[in-house]
Amino acid sequence: MVAQNIFFAIIALAMVASAVRVVTTKNILHAALYLVVVLAGVAAQFIITGAEFTGVTQVLVYIGAVIVLFLFGIMLTRARIGREEHVDGERRWIAGVVALMLFAVMTYALVDAFDTEALDARAVLEPQTTEMVSDAIFHDYLIPFEAVSFLLLAALIGAIVVARRE
Amino acid sequence: MIASLLAQASQVPFEAPVIDFHALAPEIVLVAFTAVVLLVDVIKLEEAKRLIPGLTGLAMLASLIPVISLALDGADRSLFGGAFVVDNLSLVLQAMFLLTAYVVTLLSSNYLAEGDFWESEFYLMLLSSVLGMVLMCSARDLVSIFVALELLSIPAYMMATWEKRNLRSNEAGLKYYLMGVFASALMLYGMSLLFGVSGSTLLTEIGAAIEGGSSSTPIVTLGIVLVIVGFAFKVSAVPFHTWAPDTYEGAPTPVTAFLAVASKAAGFVALLQLIFVGFLGRTDVIEPLMWVLAAASMTVGNLIALRQTNVVRLLAYSGIAQAGFMLAPLAVSGSNPDDALTAVVTYLLIYAGMNLGAFAVIIAVSRKTRSGEISSLGGLFGYAPGLTVAMTLCLASLAGIPPLGGWFAKFVVFRALTAADTPAGYALAIVVALNSVIAFYYYGLVLKAMWFSPAPDGDTTPIRVPVSLLSALTITVAATVLFGVFPGLIGHFTGNLAGLLSFAGG
Repeated sequence: MVAQNIFFAIIALAMVASAVRVVTTKNILHAALYLVVVLAGVAAQFIITGAEFTGVTQVLVYIGAVIVLFLFGIMLTRARIGREEHVDGERRWIAGVVALMLFAVMTYALVDAFDTEALDARAVLEPQTTEMVSDAIFHDYLIPFEAVSFLLLAALIGAIVVARRE
Repeated sequence: MIASLLAQASQVPFEAPVIDFHALAPEIVLVAFTAVVLLVDVIKLEEAKRLIPGLTGLAMLASLIPVISLALDGADRSLFGGAFVVDNLSLVLQAMFLLTAYVVTLLSSNYLAEGDFWESEFYLMLLSSVLGMVLMCSARDLVSIFVALELLSIPAYMMATWEKRNLRSNEAGLKYYLMGVFASALMLYGMSLLFGVSGSTLLTEIGAAIEGGSSSTPIVTLGIVLVIVGFAFKVSAVPFHTWAPDTYEGAPTPVTAFLAVASKAAGFVALLQLIFVGFLGRTDVIEPLMWVLAAASMTVGNLIALRQTNVVRLLAYSGIAQAGFMLAPLAVSGSNPDDALTAVVTYLLIYAGMNLGAFAVIIAVSRKTRSGEISSLGGLFGYAPGLTVAMTLCLASLAGIPPLGGWFAKFVVFRALTAADTPAGYALAIVVALNSVIAFYYYGLVLKAMWFSPAPDGDTTPIRVPVSLLSALTITVAATVLFGVFPGLIGHFTGNLAGLLSFAGG
């Protein structure tokens, strides 16, 4: 498990550094690209813990779809692309304090709950998660799965009505 | 390569889930009708505008048939290991959502036809949202609850912004959407913590895992609080209410009625299931949280309502206060669970009737006055006595004057709080009583304008009320009065709710 821990630490540090840059960079396009690093880091963490399906989905959905949507949103609207001086909110210090407090509470709760518990090594070494995910979707979560497909239909129709030019 | 992978995969046989189609019938009927509405819209185009409101209303009533047949059958049904449950609680609430949606359809048909709206697509949004609500009634695991919540919310965000050329409507939709997804994110984080602690998404198993001192308190507390805060946004409880007044005022009025009644009730349904099926072992966390939310919602909602001049904003703040009344019994969910559950459900049923009635009158009057100000209601008694009487009944019921429905609703809340026999329960009962008195004042202001003030511009031509609006008014006012005069009627529907608890435990 030592190798996993080392890789976890490297990826986690890269994620934290990029996450800080997402909110401090003055260029909105750069912020979106730093977000790519954070989300790719999440995907890598999933793969380290043996959840390869979730990791791949993370790449497909977040980097492949959500970030591309962000970039299109930035380019297709009238937002300025490039360095801008006034992208910081006025209350950024209060926001920072709130974020730190939230971080403290969550860290305390997580450390208190899981402390030294280790992940079951077999689960990591014998990944079968894609199979388990598909079984779960079509067995236990069949109704939510159908509901999600319906939700997509409704969202599609609504989005067309709201966005179409008249 | 692929052949070997397939061979490996087939070693673990897949067991097809057993599906009880009778239990799913209300949802299936609703989905089928939605598909028909979609097809009729695509095939008939312009002609469809005349057919679809009727078809939508029919969808709601047709879905009621399996709800009734399930109720007559009487057996509790549990699918997918307890993730989808049909019991008395879910059936009563499903019937409420379907009837509410039927009334909203009646309220919408003339409003949309006379305004600048996309019509057929609106009813698709309404049907999808109602499907989410009906699913929510049966959802007893975190994934189902989350999906049902999104299915009912996302169409509602779009309905709020349906008046596309009106900036206020755009603002309403955008605010509602941003606050809604923020709340969803908080809730999901809470759910992930609870899943991490218990290893299951089923509420019953989460309940067993977090009960008593068997798991670490901080993380369970954090998980429960985040999940409940997510739904506190949905029910517009203080301090998570800031979106409600702007959204209610800007959205098309039938949508406001839908948000104020159905969407809020859906939030309460989720809260009831989370608390009574999942978190009842941790009422040390739930009770103080609910106490604060209830007291703050009642007091802040009422105090701000006192200063409103727009009747829709007034109803928004009064709705926040009413949410406080409905949260109040949950503050004694540990010491008096049966009464608390019955009180919330009773309040929800009666609230749906009286609040929809008030919105129906506002829609009818604004057809003539084109205004939502309280002063525009002046002299209403002179030229529309019927509407005035209907509005008086609804507002008096919201204020809690006997013998109307709202009085009985407040009474059961009060009874649940005092029967718990705890200091916190008595204290909250006093807050409820004080706030009921404050509420008289602002409902009274509206009544005074209608009965005694002169018409603002001297225009006293009578209001023509279309048939659909008239039927909506008849249904809601009848419900408001009947539930008050014969409280036994509502006990007939809510009597066996305690069964839910034994079911959850077993």
